[in-house]
Amino acid sequence: MYYAILWSYAAYRRLQHCKLLRRAESPRRSAATILILFWMLRLGLTSAWAQQTNLPNKPDSLHFAIIGDSGTGGREQLEIARQLVAYRKVFPFDLVLMLGDNIYGGETPGDYQKKFEHPYKPLLDAGVKFYATLGNHDDPNQRFYKLFSMNGLRYYTFRPKDGVRFFALDSNYMDQKQLDWFDKEAGASGSEWKICFFHHPLYSSGERHGSNMELRKALEPLFVKHGINVVLAGHEHLYERLKPQQGIYYFTSGGSAKLRRGDIGNTDLTEKGFDQDYHFMLVEIYGDQFHFQTISRAGKTVDSGMIARTVRKTVTAAAQ
Amino acid sequence: MNRKIRQLIFPNIAQYLATAVLLCASGLAESPAAADANLKEFNDRVKKYVELHKRVKGDLPAMKPTTDPAKITVHEAAMDAALRAARSGAQQGDIFIPALQPYFVQLVRSELKGAAGAKAREMIKDGNPKVEGDPAKISVKVNGMYPGDAPLSTVPPGLLRKLPPLPPELEYRFVGRHLILRDVAANIIVDYIVNAAPQG
Repeated sequence: MYYAILWSYAAYRRLQHCKLLRRAESPRRSAATILILFWMLRLGLTSAWAQQTNLPNKPDSLHFAIIGDSGTGGREQLEIARQLVAYRKVFPFDLVLMLGDNIYGGETPGDYQKKFEHPYKPLLDAGVKFYATLGNHDDPNQRFYKLFSMNGLRYYTFRPKDGVRFFALDSNYMDQKQLDWFDKEAGASGSEWKICFFHHPLYSSGERHGSNMELRKALEPLFVKHGINVVLAGHEHLYERLKPQQGIYYFTSGGSAKLRRGDIGNTDLTEKGFDQDYHFMLVEIYGDQFHFQTISRAGKTVDSGMIARTVRKTVTAAAQ
Repeated sequence: MNRKIRQLIFPNIAQYLATAVLLCASGLAESPAAADANLKEFNDRVKKYVELHKRVKGDLPAMKPTTDPAKITVHEAAMDAALRAARSGAQQGDIFIPALQPYFVQLVRSELKGAAGAKAREMIKDGNPKVEGDPAKISVKVNGMYPGDAPLSTVPPGLLRKLPPLPPELEYRFVGRHLILRDVAANIIVDYIVNAAPQG
């Protein structure tokens, strides 16, 4: 904080020598000065906040970031992208999960450029890998876009580190084939951490959409059966950490470029909610601990905590 | 005939007739063998379409994961153009054969109707281009392009379990209340059933 104020003051002093500012008449100069001071302070504070993470930041743990409903190409997406870049300096993550609605509107090459490649260029240049899942605004042909790491598949699984397996599902079209695939893959996985991510939340206090009961009916029994630990979804343009449901931790993070301010309704599902600004998440999996930090566009931490992995027997095992 | 007896019989005949018409319309009056034959016909037509899709795809450079989004759009456009040309005479009902349409309507409505189907009805509005997109941009017609900037409706898993399964080249979607058959790679409407979903 001290450095932020000092940096802002230094920048302000330097700007005082600006010719245009000196030429301006006095009331106009005061207004401009106040405005400049405000922005300098804001930038300074932002950079100060960017130095703070509550995560253990161990070198041998898995670091990743999460963005949802991000592909607008608008100012807010760029601001969140800037925060991601700033945070990566103190929390070096190598992968980003995308929770759907990766490219809103048109999907021309220009759209890919504007709504993905340009905002995240510093991360892409640094070798950060993005793993996408399809939202209702995404053409399924996005699966052929190499930078989304879907390898031509609408749903897929990957294991970035021993003991951690991700399942990316297509919640727009949960047919029996996909359910059977997930049942088989999750059942075969011996990873300690099994994390699912897809677009539509099974539990949500969002007033716009709310919990997707149909998907819940289809997926929750499989999540319980295979001991899924954490489920990440977007779609609702807000942040919500839900109270564990049947031992599973659910997060909704769909505000990385779209925001529905004040949309979190009064339900008994919410453990922590944030619907006042855009956000993204940082996660670190360290042994049996899942540490998370949710950060707003201004660089402010709006939620953080740790989930300890609990060993849950699968339904099959319990029956034996 | 005694007036009282006439009053008893005629309204009942009318009711029986109305029920029979409804049953015929909904496909329930069909014998199981006829229903099976219709379903087989649908599956055969789907298979035939997929053969055409694969043939067209085989004539184009293979679509592999790429860092160049232009290749994705070019491939989609080429698939679209080739399939449209190959099916230039295609009409509504070529795949959703008329004899089977009531069966589909009945399946969709049984899943979406009433209070029990309220959540599923909400789900098909989610991403539905007539609800969330620009309704003017999409017109439902065979070989019509599904606009690239329009969202896609979510299809309830319970309904997908009941509908005849499709190969990965095709998918069921909703545009407004219409059930469409969409070619995933070419982004075109292959066939449709008008107002398959209930109102509300």
